Amino acid sequence: MPVDDSPGEFESALKPLWLRAQSGDDAAYRQALGLLASRLRAYLKRRLSGLPDEVEDLVQETLLALHLQRGTYDPTLPVSAWAVAIARHKLVDLWRRRGRRDSLHDAIDDVDEQLLAAEPDDGGARRDLETLFDALPQAQRQAIALTKLEGLSVAEAAARTGASESAIKVQVHRGLKRLAALVRGDSSDDVRQPIRTHGPGISGPVHERSK
Amino acid sequence: MKTDALIDMLARDAGPAPRALAARRLSPAAAVGLLMSAGIAIAWFGAIPAQMFATAVPWTKMAYAGALAWAAGWWTARLSRPAAPNALPRRVTVLVLVAMAVVGGVSLASAPAGARMDAVLGRSWSTCPWSVLALSLPALAASLWAVRGLAPTRPRVAGFATGLLAGSVGAFGYSLSCPEASPAFVAVWYTMGIAFTGAVGAVLGPRVLRW
Repeated sequence: MPVDDSPGEFESALKPLWLRAQSGDDAAYRQALGLLASRLRAYLKRRLSGLPDEVEDLVQETLLALHLQRGTYDPTLPVSAWAVAIARHKLVDLWRRRGRRDSLHDAIDDVDEQLLAAEPDDGGARRDLETLFDALPQAQRQAIALTKLEGLSVAEAAARTGASESAIKVQVHRGLKRLAALVRGDSSDDVRQPIRTHGPGISGPVHERSK
Repeated sequence: MKTDALIDMLARDAGPAPRALAARRLSPAAAVGLLMSAGIAIAWFGAIPAQMFATAVPWTKMAYAGALAWAAGWWTARLSRPAAPNALPRRVTVLVLVAMAVVGGVSLASAPAGARMDAVLGRSWSTCPWSVLALSLPALAASLWAVRGLAPTRPRVAGFATGLLAGSVGAFGYSLSCPEASPAFVAVWYTMGIAFTGAVGAVLGPRVLRW
């Protein structure tokens, strides 16, 4: 994964990939999401310095939102501005949900995707998306499992289940949407749980948050 | 699930992004709202006499409501897309409101002094805004649902713009039943009904437009 610290270079590496992804190139899409994930991780890490365990969860939540909302991207705008606006929305949402219990002192910075450095994935998501799959309705879970996890094509999944191809696509989309909703609902519940630290200790005094 | 696995899952067989998503969601919502408001207006209040369509009166109302619906719809669509600039549609929306106020003012200035009060108040000033609000509710519900499926990052403003769109749609329906003839009446009481709907949208926005 290229690490460009200059903003123009990042956007100019990302945008052609993103535009190809938008018109249906899955390999370009995977690469673009990878680039975005490392930038978003750095963006969120800086703004969640008091809640380091939330970072990877929020990266994943933001990636899901980017995917579900890719139809709202306007090709005349920078991809990074669009992605950061979504990340910031998810960040504000997280703070709002936690706000009643935590005192958070960070203000929301102006959108400054310029300063982002890339961050590698340390795999530190606290909430396991796979366990959330179990809460999906059967048809949605099956459609996602067949096409997204087992790697069948939509046609093969349709043949396997007896549903039509468009029904499979609809179930996949609805399932991912439902998953995104579960992710939000879940993280409001875990406010009550004590936060565990993860991975290398970049975090500092985490338990301070429960004042 | 690791973030890289999530990215693989999202990108696999993802296909092209949906196009013109905001327009595709908002237009049917507004159309359904319009049919319902026109239907309810005619069933409830009765249609205006056919010979009124030979005058400019209903056309003025429909032109105002139609132009405002288009401008507010454009503004709503922009507010439903992260990072999309919305200053231009906002100004156009204000411009439509101001233009109607000017038309109303001119008609009032050219009326004889003794008739001005009657022109503004008509016979139905006390019910008109509430009728517009009531007739806007189907469009408001449908449009909020449409915007909720998009990505509004400023829910209060997006709710307000959605309310203006729905209010204009309701006003369009009401113009089929409204016997008032003065543009000054339209400029005051129609606008007030549309503003009420905008206010309802602004109150509902932060609650309803969450994603």
